[in-house]
Amino acid sequence: MNIKMESRNFTIPEKEYMFPGHVACPGCGGALAMRLVLKALGEKTIVVIPACCWTIIDGPFPMHSLHVPVYHTAFETAAVAASGIKAALEIQGKKDITVLAWAGDGGTLDIGIQSLSGVAERNDDIIYACYDNEAYMNTGIQRSSATPKGAWTTTTPVGNPKGEPKKNISEIMISHRIPYVATATLAYPDDLINKFRKAQQIKGTKFIHIFAPCPTGWKMAPELMITICRLAVLTNIFPLYECENGVKYTINIVPEKPIPVREYLKLQGRFSHLQEKDIEQIQKTVDFEFNLLLKKAQLIV
Amino acid sequence: MKWLEKYKVDLPNLNKESDYPEWAISMTSTLLNRTGSWRTFRPVYENKTPPCSYRCPVHEKIPIYCDYLKRGMIKEAYFTIIENNPFPAITGRVCYHPCELECNRKDYDETLSIHNIERYIGDWGLKQVSVKELRKQSAEKSKGSQQKLKIAIIGSGPAGMTAAFYLACEGHTVTVYERQAKLGGLLRYGIPAYRLPKKILDNEINRLKLLGVNFQTGVSLGKDITLSMLKEKFDYVIIAYGAHKNRALGVPGDDAIGVLSGLEFLAQVNSGRKPKLGKRVLIIGGGNTAIDAARVALRLKRKPVILYRRSRNEMPANPQEVSDCEKEGIKIEFLVAPVKVVTNKKGKVVGLEVVKMKLGKPDASGRRAPVPIPNSNYIINCDTIITAIGEQVDLSIIPDELEKTSWGIAAGEDGQTNLDRVYAIGDCVSGPKTVTEAIAMGRKAAMNIMNKNDVQVFSPYIVKISDLNLSYFSHQPQTKAKELSLSARKGSFKEIHLGFSENESIKEAERCFSCGVCNKCDNCYVFCPDLAVIRDNYEYEIDYDFCKGCGVCAYECPRKAITMIEDSQIIEDNSKE
Ligand SMILES: Cc1cc2nc3c(=O)[nH]c(=O)nc-3n(C[C@H](O)[C@H](O)[C@H](O)COP(=O)(O)OP(=O)(O)OC[C@H]3O[C@@H](n4cnc5c(N)ncnc54)[C@H](O)[C@@H]3O)c2cc1C
Ligand SMILES: Cc1ncc(C[n+]2csc(CCOP(=O)(O)OP(=O)(O)O)c2C)c(N)n1
Ligand code: SF4
Ligand code: SF4
Ligand code: SF4
Ligand SMILES: [Mg+2]
Repeated sequence: MNIKMESRNFTIPEKEYMFPGHVACPGCGGALAMRLVLKALGEKTIVVIPACCWTIIDGPFPMHSLHVPVYHTAFETAAVAASGIKAALEIQGKKDITVLAWAGDGGTLDIGIQSLSGVAERNDDIIYACYDNEAYMNTGIQRSSATPKGAWTTTTPVGNPKGEPKKNISEIMISHRIPYVATATLAYPDDLINKFRKAQQIKGTKFIHIFAPCPTGWKMAPELMITICRLAVLTNIFPLYECENGVKYTINIVPEKPIPVREYLKLQGRFSHLQEKDIEQIQKTVDFEFNLLLKKAQLIV
Repeated sequence: MKWLEKYKVDLPNLNKESDYPEWAISMTSTLLNRTGSWRTFRPVYENKTPPCSYRCPVHEKIPIYCDYLKRGMIKEAYFTIIENNPFPAITGRVCYHPCELECNRKDYDETLSIHNIERYIGDWGLKQVSVKELRKQSAEKSKGSQQKLKIAIIGSGPAGMTAAFYLACEGHTVTVYERQAKLGGLLRYGIPAYRLPKKILDNEINRLKLLGVNFQTGVSLGKDITLSMLKEKFDYVIIAYGAHKNRALGVPGDDAIGVLSGLEFLAQVNSGRKPKLGKRVLIIGGGNTAIDAARVALRLKRKPVILYRRSRNEMPANPQEVSDCEKEGIKIEFLVAPVKVVTNKKGKVVGLEVVKMKLGKPDASGRRAPVPIPNSNYIINCDTIITAIGEQVDLSIIPDELEKTSWGIAAGEDGQTNLDRVYAIGDCVSGPKTVTEAIAMGRKAAMNIMNKNDVQVFSPYIVKISDLNLSYFSHQPQTKAKELSLSARKGSFKEIHLGFSENESIKEAERCFSCGVCNKCDNCYVFCPDLAVIRDNYEYEIDYDFCKGCGVCAYECPRKAITMIEDSQIIEDNSKE
């Protein structure tokens, strides 16, 4: 008899390393991201957080929402503070502690990129996770270089939405030829957890880009948070892939029949002003980028 | 366990400057923030009714037994079914499975093959579950010791068998009076063995005997016993004698030699006798009796033809049975009605004069009424005519003081008649219906007599396919059960539909969406950003101290087992209490 006691959809670890009562908005993707990532990395983790929503989510003094130590640092210093902590641990002979830099898209793609690039160039042994909510959410939804083209933010109002495409941070990090770069999102928790576990086993700089919706800043219903993540993957807007040593690409999900980007865009108020021709343009860009990625995945090195 | 039951949280003492740490380091957790106060809507776990269960006459909890089956817990699956229906091995074969017509899966790829799953579990239980276990299971369910009752049941068809089962399981003394020599009613004398092997029925009846049911065969109500006699000897009487009165054709010559009633014909064959049949057999009628009579005649190596006075759309017979019948090579002539039986000098059938019909305006039944086409009469040569134009309840054998409707005995939902301590169930109440409806009535009456609540559907809300989050399912064709080949059916009463193997039934059970019924898939727990879904082994609970009401859990539940309710509504309701 084929005994199957579990009919669970996912196999995420049981233990929690986070307390509720944190002050993220309802349906915050960043909050769930931390919960899942700590489940992957476990107790022996130190988290380094620069200025971002997570500075606040973790709780104002004297509160703290994680079961692991957190070091709050300046906006531009997540990567380098993490590698400093790692160096200090090594000197003390504490080799089994994972140091996780945890920064927003502003803190990663914009102001933090120089220290991140430096750490990657030295291949310092940290995991750097960018939870990407595609704007400076903590200070009131200002555009960042991760904001997608056409999106509304408070600094790219409807009459003048963002004109530039999203900066491709994963490719930038891949160009540093660090041992491991991956993308992940919350609708695929097993995949996300596997990637962090894999990163934990690799020495050197690991960069994981997490697509983490912000219902408040994206003007969308909070209950759609996971659905939006799933749509981002199934439309090829945010493909799930990995790249080892800057050359070996693996695409984790190649949708058999990609969902039109319209289905993704229409659920979010930040795109509600888009005209048909804008949507077509976005579709073209998404198709182009995904084809390019497919080609890279075919590279034999 | 909820967070605040597991952890004690105190605000640290921070009254004077020296209480503060030298640098900003945390001293307590965010459990201090009852973020549940932000909420305007709250998620509530609330199983809803899948359309299959709703439509099933006995409201079987289909997703629950599918879930048990795929987890390898077949015994639990079996006990889940028999809470509603004691004879899944029988209904898995003969029920027309209206559940499958409503299955949400039909709008996605193909309906779930519920009856084959039910049949597999039923066969397993019939073989593997002992009478002792049946008793124990019902003893656990029934609270406290009940006074033991004496109950008489008239008729051993599915209605009577069901009432007997539930009453006997709880130790009441049950006596069943049956007119025929053998037990089972139409399950034995109506439904032929190629659809329900006698062995399955015998095993079920045997189990009733082991449960202590006392069967008295060859005893007829109205002849050997009367209602008042039984009322004196027993605490309760349940009337379940079915609808067996054959309707005559009502045309000249309908009593000629060679005109048979469908039910009688089937009863003879089903009890191993060989009725006298000519070579060319005409069957009149469009119901299940007509179809079975034709298929039996075919197996007796005759060439039967069915005549029906309306068109295919109006046929009361089950469409699956009709298609099986035609597959076997039986011809159905539509829109012809008998006018006169043609006989020879000896009074023996030699033909049937018929008239062509066309469909007119809808009649009382809502179906379009057949109207004869003038001067379209012709004669079909034949040797035997089997009439199957409907059965009726024989109301002559019951006393006048028992209330009746125009088609049967009058009884309420719970089976109670106007007479004290007298119940009536099955076809004798409803007129000819189905096995599963008879079972439902049998169970209701038994529960009412025992003063117990009957089984219920999950909730008044019936889950539609648009309620489901289909992202969690993938397309998968229905598992097809094996069938006896057409050539192997020739001249044989061997069972046609062969059911599922263990692997096939599990594979098919895995296709069930479990509409409206939590099957512990974990999505709500995995996706809550606020750690407010507490999972304890296999139970889930919302921690309202911290749930912010984002609705992610409810939206990602694949099966609408979580409802979002306005918090102010709950506060209002609480203040009313
Ligand atoms: C040919 C045929 C095929 C059918 N096929 C199907 C099918 O595939 N699926 C389905 O769901 N339904 C089918 N039906 C309908 C189904 O069999 C009936 O609805 C069901 O059996 C009714 O159950 P019951 O217990 O009320 O009555 P019955 O099954 O009719 O049982 C009544 C019992 O009472 C006994 N009895 C009668 N009079 C007296 C008396 N005076 N004293 C004592 N005992 C008496 C009878 O002998 C009989 O045993 C079919 C019916 C026929 C005729
Ligand atoms: C040097 C500096 N400039 C500006 C700020 C103000 N600030 C705090 S958080 C933040 C936005 C962070 O955005 P992002 O990194 O995307 O994280 P998010 O808040 O969106 O999670 C800014 C501009 C700061 N703390 N330090
Ligand atoms: S998918 Fe399962 S629960 Fe839903 S209607 Fe079909 S059988 Fe019933
Ligand atoms: S996901 Fe969590 S916070 Fe959101 S409604 Fe459900 S239980 Fe509440
Ligand atoms: S998401 Fe899964 S575990 Fe949660 S209520 Fe729905 S079916 Fe049950
Ligand atoms: Mg941001």
